[in-house]
Amino acid sequence: MAEKKVILKLDGLSKRFQTKNGDVEAVHEVSLEVRDNEFLVLLGPGRCGKTVLLNLIAGLEPPTEGNIFLDGQAISGTHNSIGMVFQKTGMLPWKTVMQNVELGPKLAGEDKKSRRERAQKYIELVGLKGFEKSYPAELSGGMKQRVGIARAYANNPEILLMDEPFGALDAQTRYAMEDELIRIWEKERRTVIFVTNNIEEAAYLGDRIVLFSECPARVKQIYDIDLPRPRNNVDPKFLHIRQMIAENTDLAL
Amino acid sequence: MKQKNLFLSILYTILPALSVVCLFILWYSVSNQRPDLIPTPADTWERFLLTFEKPIMRLSFFEHILASLRRVITALMFSWVFGILIGTVIGWTKTGRALVGSVFNMLRPIPPLAWIPLITIWFGIGEAPKVLIVIIGSIVPVIVNTQSGMERVEQLYLDVGRVFHANNRQLLFEIALPSALTTIMAGIKTSTSTGWMVVLAAEMLGAKSGVGFLITRGMDSGDTALVLVAMIAIGVVGALLAVLISLIERMVCPWLRKK
Amino acid sequence: MSKLQNSNNKKSLGKTRYALLSAAGILGFLAIWQALVMTGIVQEKYLAAPTEIIRLFFVKLTDTAPDGNTLPFNIIASLRVSLTGLLTALLLGIPLGWVMGWYRWVDRFVTPLFEILRPIPPISWIPLTILWLGIGLRAKAFIIFFSAFIPCVINSYTGIKQTSKVLINVAKTCGASNFVIFLKVGIPYSLPITFAGIRVALGNSWSTLMAAEMLASSAGLGYMILMGRAFARPDIIVLGMLVIGVIGALLTGILEFAERKIVKWGGRKQ
Repeated sequence: MAEKKVILKLDGLSKRFQTKNGDVEAVHEVSLEVRDNEFLVLLGPGRCGKTVLLNLIAGLEPPTEGNIFLDGQAISGTHNSIGMVFQKTGMLPWKTVMQNVELGPKLAGEDKKSRRERAQKYIELVGLKGFEKSYPAELSGGMKQRVGIARAYANNPEILLMDEPFGALDAQTRYAMEDELIRIWEKERRTVIFVTNNIEEAAYLGDRIVLFSECPARVKQIYDIDLPRPRNNVDPKFLHIRQMIAENTDLAL
Repeated sequence: MKQKNLFLSILYTILPALSVVCLFILWYSVSNQRPDLIPTPADTWERFLLTFEKPIMRLSFFEHILASLRRVITALMFSWVFGILIGTVIGWTKTGRALVGSVFNMLRPIPPLAWIPLITIWFGIGEAPKVLIVIIGSIVPVIVNTQSGMERVEQLYLDVGRVFHANNRQLLFEIALPSALTTIMAGIKTSTSTGWMVVLAAEMLGAKSGVGFLITRGMDSGDTALVLVAMIAIGVVGALLAVLISLIERMVCPWLRKK
Repeated sequence: MSKLQNSNNKKSLGKTRYALLSAAGILGFLAIWQALVMTGIVQEKYLAAPTEIIRLFFVKLTDTAPDGNTLPFNIIASLRVSLTGLLTALLLGIPLGWVMGWYRWVDRFVTPLFEILRPIPPISWIPLTILWLGIGLRAKAFIIFFSAFIPCVINSYTGIKQTSKVLINVAKTCGASNFVIFLKVGIPYSLPITFAGIRVALGNSWSTLMAAEMLASSAGLGYMILMGRAFARPDIIVLGMLVIGVIGALLTGILEFAERKIVKWGGRKQ
């Protein structure tokens, strides 16, 4: 496979927090190159600093050390080219589905007609046509996360960060949402950085998997998964990859 | 077992009615025995009808209610606007909380009614000072609730705002204020009942119109039936105001309705 | 981890800086007040300067002018009335709320009465109360009782109604009787919300006291400020208001201390 263009580069990112019991390091010298349009999975056990790493990339928190380059330019703070799908969905309960999805363009000052059109397109893409006027409280967990994906897409980001978006869903819904996500991603190609602690989910979704060690998060190994999609999770090759990663993963207690 | 359940469900249905009937019987029998302590239901009803034929201080009964309502609503409008404003300053900006919050917290323990003497020394006993006293009383819950709502905006919602590149003004208006709105509405509810109570007290302490005035007038002239009529009216209007606010809440926070 | 992020995300203003700004706020307020009076922008017949209030405080400790009582006498009179009313309300209202919340037949019988009487503000009972009980301690204490009673009942009722069904079932499986569950599970569970009600009751009682003392009294802080108005003495009024505020804040402080001692499992969450 030909080397693809690098869109995002993390260079020696570290993050330490000050607590009462001294400094705690959540992320340790992570360097990583993210390729354009790839589906990159960050996989790591339990409570290690994957979410913190994602927050650093999103610009929600400044790194203690290191730099982030987007298209070769160093960035700091939040960036319009980087969107995020939150773990707890982050639906704003006082806004309807439509108002949630059009949030990004609205904050950017886009006029109502064009942002509504775009939001409508993505609401339909995630299969929520007819729910535009519903409030989040009326939706199921899976539906809320669909809105979260549509909302991130509607802001036209180059890179989509997803922080264990399906972690709170039951197993059935989770499988369905994984297929749904791949379908959307194949239709609307974006670079996706997907955080999970589920090895099967990682192997099912990712072009590449970055395996992290337990706290502090540091890159342990990177796997290229060149299985064709749609993947079959009882395919021997799939099981082999799964097994291989599992043996290399730190146990989270 | 089944019979017992049936008995219980009948009991639960008639108990509320029974208690109201008991209250009425109690009122009826006590007032017939000692009409000097509390007027009979019949006297009260007649006194109510009389207010239409014979105005008090040249105002009919409903005009007195309207006078009180006008005061309380004017004051509430002020309280809601400025209360949310001040609460936002205290709850949203750390500097504001230190500078304004400290003064607010110093003045807050003084009950609104304790301001009445000072306000009347400053502004006399006209219409404006009464409204001012009601503002002092009803603005406090609005400020307190706005402040606590703004301080407890979920970090997740703010993060959503920041990921979508909201500037500070947008974070405030698109994220923080709406997320605090339910708490603010609770403050508005409290402010309404407090305001209604304070206007009554202000009128009792010196006015020529309003339901509070009717109470003092009844007290001074030994007309207990009038006192009772005014009390009932105050209760009914207070309850109606509460219903009105609930309706407003459902309009302002439509997402709560669908939960 | 999320806690760490929070503390990191919110720009924390230094503690000392915050304290300094708070002090600046209060001092600035006092300074403007002092300046307004001293420069004569606000005439002395309308407002007394802070320094003047402090001086008056010490004078008023022993002086009976103009209302006929010393300040300590007024304070004690007010405390006696309000605490009598408040404590009676706590003793009757909280158990009533608990019983209403736990036993359905009490709920069905009492709630309608409660809903009828609740919208009538306590101070409008003043004329009838005077008729029934005269203008002594009992009448005023009754009004205050009434104002404090309502939040006590409502909150202990709401609190015990919210008792977790899981806890009740656990207790049932252990063979506890309904009454034991009421005592050992329901009541402790309701305490945080009950205390919130007591806080409201305290505020109400202190506030209603003012009305009671201004309308029918010959002593107390409310009477003192009303006399301040009658004798056109703004210094007496402001002194009275400040003392009222300070005592109110002290009572709240005592209550919060008691709450922390009793509800050790971190109430105040509502």
